Amino acid sequence: MARVRVIYETGEAEKTIEFSPSQAPFQHDGEPGSLLDVLLGHGVHLDHACGGNCACTTCHVIVKAGGNCLSEAEEREEDMLDRAPGLTPTSRLGCQAVIEDENADIVVLIPRFTINQQVAESR
Amino acid sequence: MAAGANRPDHHGIIERIVDHPAQTRSLFIRLPREHALSFIPGQFISLVLPLGGQRALRPYSIASDPEQGDLLEIVLNLVPGGLGSSYLFACRTGQELTFTGPYGLFTLENAPVTETVFVARETAIAPIRPMIRRALAAGTCAPLHLLYAAAREETILYREELTELARGDSRLRFDPVITDDFAWPGMRGPLIDRLRELYLRADERRDRQFYICGVGPEVLAMRDLLRQNGYARKAVQYEKW
Repeated sequence: MARVRVIYETGEAEKTIEFSPSQAPFQHDGEPGSLLDVLLGHGVHLDHACGGNCACTTCHVIVKAGGNCLSEAEEREEDMLDRAPGLTPTSRLGCQAVIEDENADIVVLIPRFTINQQVAESR
Repeated sequence: MAAGANRPDHHGIIERIVDHPAQTRSLFIRLPREHALSFIPGQFISLVLPLGGQRALRPYSIASDPEQGDLLEIVLNLVPGGLGSSYLFACRTGQELTFTGPYGLFTLENAPVTETVFVARETAIAPIRPMIRRALAAGTCAPLHLLYAAAREETILYREELTELARGDSRLRFDPVITDDFAWPGMRGPLIDRLRELYLRADERRDRQFYICGVGPEVLAMRDLLRQNGYARKAVQYEKW
């Protein structure tokens, strides 16, 4: 059984879900078994304006623990992440980071802002 | 909770529907003038559709210009078995649509300072169209080239507009690339072969930039071809659906 704990920069109450990665896909947005797929499939909201197609950064998460249980980021994800505000070395896109370990224990932080909001607010 | 949580919903009315060949259509979405959308050419909106009893998200690039932010055009093709496109094809004028946005980083806001090549296939012309119009309107001195692939001549979207634009402006070159008509006298597919011969084999210059939009692995193949043959990573922008 794998576990994902979600904490929020906004101070919203954290959430923890448990699931079996082998049962993916759960919700069908993002890569099957991705953080986005898993969270949505277990009732935890994560923005995904592009439908989980790696075309925006609204599902940007910062992996605080368990990053080694996730798939390696591909060039497409890296290209997109380059433009995420508040980029950290452990930033991932929820729609692309696939949970590959059946016993994964992952902690992700949902940042306060995405670049899309910044663009909107600056105009 | 809203499907695009923490983001305000926009509401617009379908004012006009324009059918194109090959089960493709444009929807023109009217917003109240005081709620006109501020966006950058290339961005998309995320439609919130009631599919299967849930609020589902369907992203669509904005095919119209930011200068008219109270009338947005999206263009879509009917996907067999696709819930989102089936829903939208059943919509009639006067119907309200809800969306969030704009979103997206595949954008062109200012006049390019270097030769710029736009590459699109079928409906993926949508984000490219306002980019080209913006580049010209912003007074670019750089040459622009549009390589636009379609199955047949009649399925080239905005064919007359793009042809006229290029005819009247020496900065823009427009090449339709036709893939399914062997009698076509102009360029024929595959797109990646045209890119290779025009921008890799023809010269040693690697100071151009590219905006590539499309569906499927072709987009990434073109990205890789250009980046692996001397073009800088940031000079190859792309959006793959």
